[in-house]
Amino acid sequence: MGILASVIISALLGALSFGYKSRREGAMGAALGILGGAVILGALGFCTFASDAESTEGVLGVALAGAFAWMFGAGTKAVFNQRAADLGSGEIRTGTYNLSWWWPWLLLSPTLLILVFFLYLPAYQTFTLSTKLTRLGAPRVADRCLSNFSDILVVNPTTVAIIPLIAIAAIWGIGLWNRLAMPGSTNAAIAAAVRPFGILILIFAFYFIFENENGGYRQIYVNTLIISGFTVGLAMIAGLALAYLAFGRIKGITVYRTLLIWPYAISPPVAGILFFMMFNATGGILAHVVDSFGNFVGLDVSLPNYTKSVGLARATIILASVWKLLGYNLLFFLAGLQTVPRAQIEAATLDGANSWQRFRKIVVPALGPIAFFLLITNLTYSFFDVYGTIDFLTKGAPAGATSVAIYEIIRVGVDNGDLGRGAAQSVILFLAVIGLTAWQFRQSEGRISYGST
Amino acid sequence: MKKLFGLLVAFSLVAAACSGSDEGGAEATAENPVTIQMWVAFSDDARLGFAEDRAAEFTANHPEYIVEVTSFDSYNTVFEQAQLAIDEGNPPEIIHFFEAATQEALDAVDKDGNPIFQSVTEAIDGRTEILGEEVVLGDVVSAATNYYTIDGQLYSMPWNTSSTTMFSNMDILEAAGISEPPKTWAEVETACDAIMGMPDAPSEGCITWPNHGWFFEQALGQAGANLANNDNGRAGRATEVMLNSDAALDYVQWWSDMEDSGNYLYTGTQRDWDGTSAAFQAQNVAMLVYSSSDTTALTAAGDENGFKVQSSFMPFNQDREYAGNLIGGATLWMTAGMDTATQDGALAFLNYFSNPENAAAWHKLTGYIPITNSAVSRLDGEGWYAESPNSKVASDQLDAAANTPASTGALLGNFVAIRDVVTAAIEDILVNDADVATRMQSAQDEAQSLLDDYNELYGG
Repeated sequence: MGILASVIISALLGALSFGYKSRREGAMGAALGILGGAVILGALGFCTFASDAESTEGVLGVALAGAFAWMFGAGTKAVFNQRAADLGSGEIRTGTYNLSWWWPWLLLSPTLLILVFFLYLPAYQTFTLSTKLTRLGAPRVADRCLSNFSDILVVNPTTVAIIPLIAIAAIWGIGLWNRLAMPGSTNAAIAAAVRPFGILILIFAFYFIFENENGGYRQIYVNTLIISGFTVGLAMIAGLALAYLAFGRIKGITVYRTLLIWPYAISPPVAGILFFMMFNATGGILAHVVDSFGNFVGLDVSLPNYTKSVGLARATIILASVWKLLGYNLLFFLAGLQTVPRAQIEAATLDGANSWQRFRKIVVPALGPIAFFLLITNLTYSFFDVYGTIDFLTKGAPAGATSVAIYEIIRVGVDNGDLGRGAAQSVILFLAVIGLTAWQFRQSEGRISYGST
Repeated sequence: MKKLFGLLVAFSLVAAACSGSDEGGAEATAENPVTIQMWVAFSDDARLGFAEDRAAEFTANHPEYIVEVTSFDSYNTVFEQAQLAIDEGNPPEIIHFFEAATQEALDAVDKDGNPIFQSVTEAIDGRTEILGEEVVLGDVVSAATNYYTIDGQLYSMPWNTSSTTMFSNMDILEAAGISEPPKTWAEVETACDAIMGMPDAPSEGCITWPNHGWFFEQALGQAGANLANNDNGRAGRATEVMLNSDAALDYVQWWSDMEDSGNYLYTGTQRDWDGTSAAFQAQNVAMLVYSSSDTTALTAAGDENGFKVQSSFMPFNQDREYAGNLIGGATLWMTAGMDTATQDGALAFLNYFSNPENAAAWHKLTGYIPITNSAVSRLDGEGWYAESPNSKVASDQLDAAANTPASTGALLGNFVAIRDVVTAAIEDILVNDADVATRMQSAQDEAQSLLDDYNELYGG
C-alpha cells in the first residue's frame, strides 16, 4: 500500500512540477517523478514499507518519495528551460581560447575539492548516519530506517500525514486567491497582504506533528522558534534604530560607532559568560546591585534566578544574542545608510515629507538588500551559533525550556554519543534552514532592488 | 601534470611514514627515550599541575622515558579524542577516564574489533616491581578495588576517587542551636526548620547539592537498591535499568518536598557544581552535599570567609537500612597494543603515580581519598587526620559500606545519557512540579530504550 501511494504521489508531483500541458509532457513528468521516488526509496532499501516498520515511517517514506519526485521534475524542467534559452539566444559560446576540455575543470578543482570534501561528503554522511543507530567506536551499526525521525514525531501516523497536507493546501489556497482576485480591488489587497504569512501556517502545522511527551521534540521546536524569532527581530530593529542614530552628526560619533560595533568581536560563548556574570543570582553583579539597593531602601528584594523561570531564561538568552548580533547589524546598516540617495531625501523634504515618512518611504526601501542579507545571516546565527551562549547561561534550563535545535543536536549526538539521532536532528535543522531561506528568496523576489534605478 | 603527480606521491609517502612511526619494539634508552602520552581530563592548575609534576619527576628518575601530559576539558572529550586517535593508529598510552563510563571503556573496540584498552592486572602479570617502581595495584583501598574489579581483575589503575559527603557551615548550625551535622533525612529537615526559622536565616536556602545523576545513584546505594539488573551489571551485562524503584521514588520525593518547603536551593541548572559550591561559600546556604574531592578547598574557603566547615556522611533515609555509599571519580586506562618497553614504562609510571607518597600528596591537595592502604597509614602516621578531620570522612564513609552490588555501584552502558535522563526528570519535578511517580516512569522508559540501543550495538 505504501509503495502504491508513493508511485501515485510521485507521478502526480512529477507531472505537476515538470508540466502537464500535453499528454507527452505529462507522461514524462510522471515518469520522472516515479524515477525520483524510486531513487530515494531504493537508496533506503524500501525499508519504510517493510513489515516491521512503523506506520509513521511509511508516511515519511511517501513524503520523501513525493519530495524527490518534485525535485526531479522541477530540476529537469529547469535544465530544459536553460537549454532552450541558450539555443534561442544565439549567444556566441566559444571564445578565442581553444583549450582542452579539462582546463576549466582543473581551474575549478580547488573549489570543487573543498566543496566535495568539506561540504558534500559530510552532508551525505549525515544523511546516511541519520538512518542508523551507531556510536563512536561501536563494533556494530544497526539500521534504523527512518525511525530516528519518526521517534520525534507524534505517535499517530494519520496526524503526521494529514496536518502538513492541510497546511500546504491552505498555502496553495492563498496563492490561488491572489491569482483570482481582481487586480486593484480590496480583495486583491487583502490577498496580497495575507500571502507572506503562508509560511506561518506551515510553521504552526509542524507544532502539531512533533512529539509532545517528556523529552519530546515539540518543546525544542517551540524554543527554537521563540529564541530565534525574537533574536533576529530585535537584533534587526535595534540595529537599524542605532545605526540611524549613529549616522547623524554628533560630536565624537566615531567613538560611539566603535563602541557600538565592539560586541561583534566577541564570540558567542564569551557573550554567555558575560551575561552569566551579570545576571547570576548568587554572585552576579546585578544581584549585588539589587541587594545593596534593597538594603538601602530597607526592602527584602533579591534578583530572581533566571534559570528557574521559563520567561526570564529565554529573555536572557535572547538579550545576550541580540547584544552580540547588534554590532554586526549596525555595521551593515551604517554602510547601507551611506548609500541612501541624498538627493531623494532632499527632494522629499522639499515636498513636505516628515522625517518618519522619509525614513519609511526612502531609507527603508533603500536598505532592502542589506536587510535581506542580515535577515539570512542573523537567522543562521540564531540557529547555529547560540550554542555557546546557551551552554554558559542556562544549559537548557529550566527543564529544557531554552534547549534549541542546535543545543539538542550536540547534547544527543556529541555528549550522549548517539550519532544516528544527532544526525537525524541535524537533517531536520538543515531542512528548516533551507526551507526558510527558499521562502525568503521567494518573498524578496521583485521587492528588493539591488540597482539604483 | 607530472609535477603534480610527483607532489602527490611525495605527500602520500610522508603520510605513510608518519603513520608507521610507532612500529617496532626497540629498547628504551636515555639517548633514544620512549614517549608515553598521558591524557588527563583536568584543566585546573592544581590537579593538572599535580599530574604534570609527577610526570616530570618520573622522567627525571627514568631518563629513558618521557611522560607527556595533555590536558582536556572533560572526560567525554578525552574518550572521544582517544577513540579518534586509535582509529588513526596513534593512540595515547594512558587515558584518564571516569567511573560512569567503565562499561563503555571495556566495550570499546577499534576499527578491526580489537579492544582499545588492556587490563592493568594482566599487564602487570604478578610482578611486584617494574623498572624499580614498586607495584601498588594490590594495595588499592577496597572501595575502589570493588568498584573497578571486573571478572576478577582491575582493568584500570584507580586514581582520583571520591564519595559524596556533606559540608556544614557550623557557625550557622550552632546559631540555630544544632551542635552536630544532621545524619538522616529527618534530622536534616529538623535542622533546616530551625535554621530557616532564624531571623537572619541564610538567604538562598538551608541545603543544596548539584542535580547530578551521581547523587541519585548514591541514594540508591544507601538504600541497598540496585540501579540495574544482573547485580547492578556485575554478574553479567546489565539489560534493565530501575529508575523507579521505591528507594528511588522516596529519594526524589524527599528532594522535591525539600525544594517545595524552601529548604533546598535549586540553583536552576543540571550538574551545577560551581553554583552550589558558590552558594555555600557565600554562606547563602548552611549545608552542601558535594563531592569529597573538594574537601580541602571547601574547608579552606570556610577559613577564608570566617566560618567553620565540618564534613560528615551524606544524609540517608532513616526508614531504610543503610547499605553504604559508592565511589565516584576516575581511573587511568592503558591502551592495548604497546610494545614491551613502552608498556613497562607506562606501568611503572602508573604505579609511581600512586605510590604512598604521591597518593598522600594528591589526597592533601584535593580531598580525593588516599587511594592505597599504605597512603592511609602514612597520613595517619603524620598526624594528618588529627589535624584535618574533614579529610577522613570520605574514607570512613566508604569503609562503612557493605560490599554489595548496590553499594558498589552499577556498571551500565550509555550511563552518561541515562544520567542525563535522570537529572532532566528531576529538574522537571523540581521546577515544574511534575508528579514524581509519573515523571520517573517516563524517565525509566526513556533510559531503558537508551540501554537497549547500547546493548544492541555492544551486547553479546
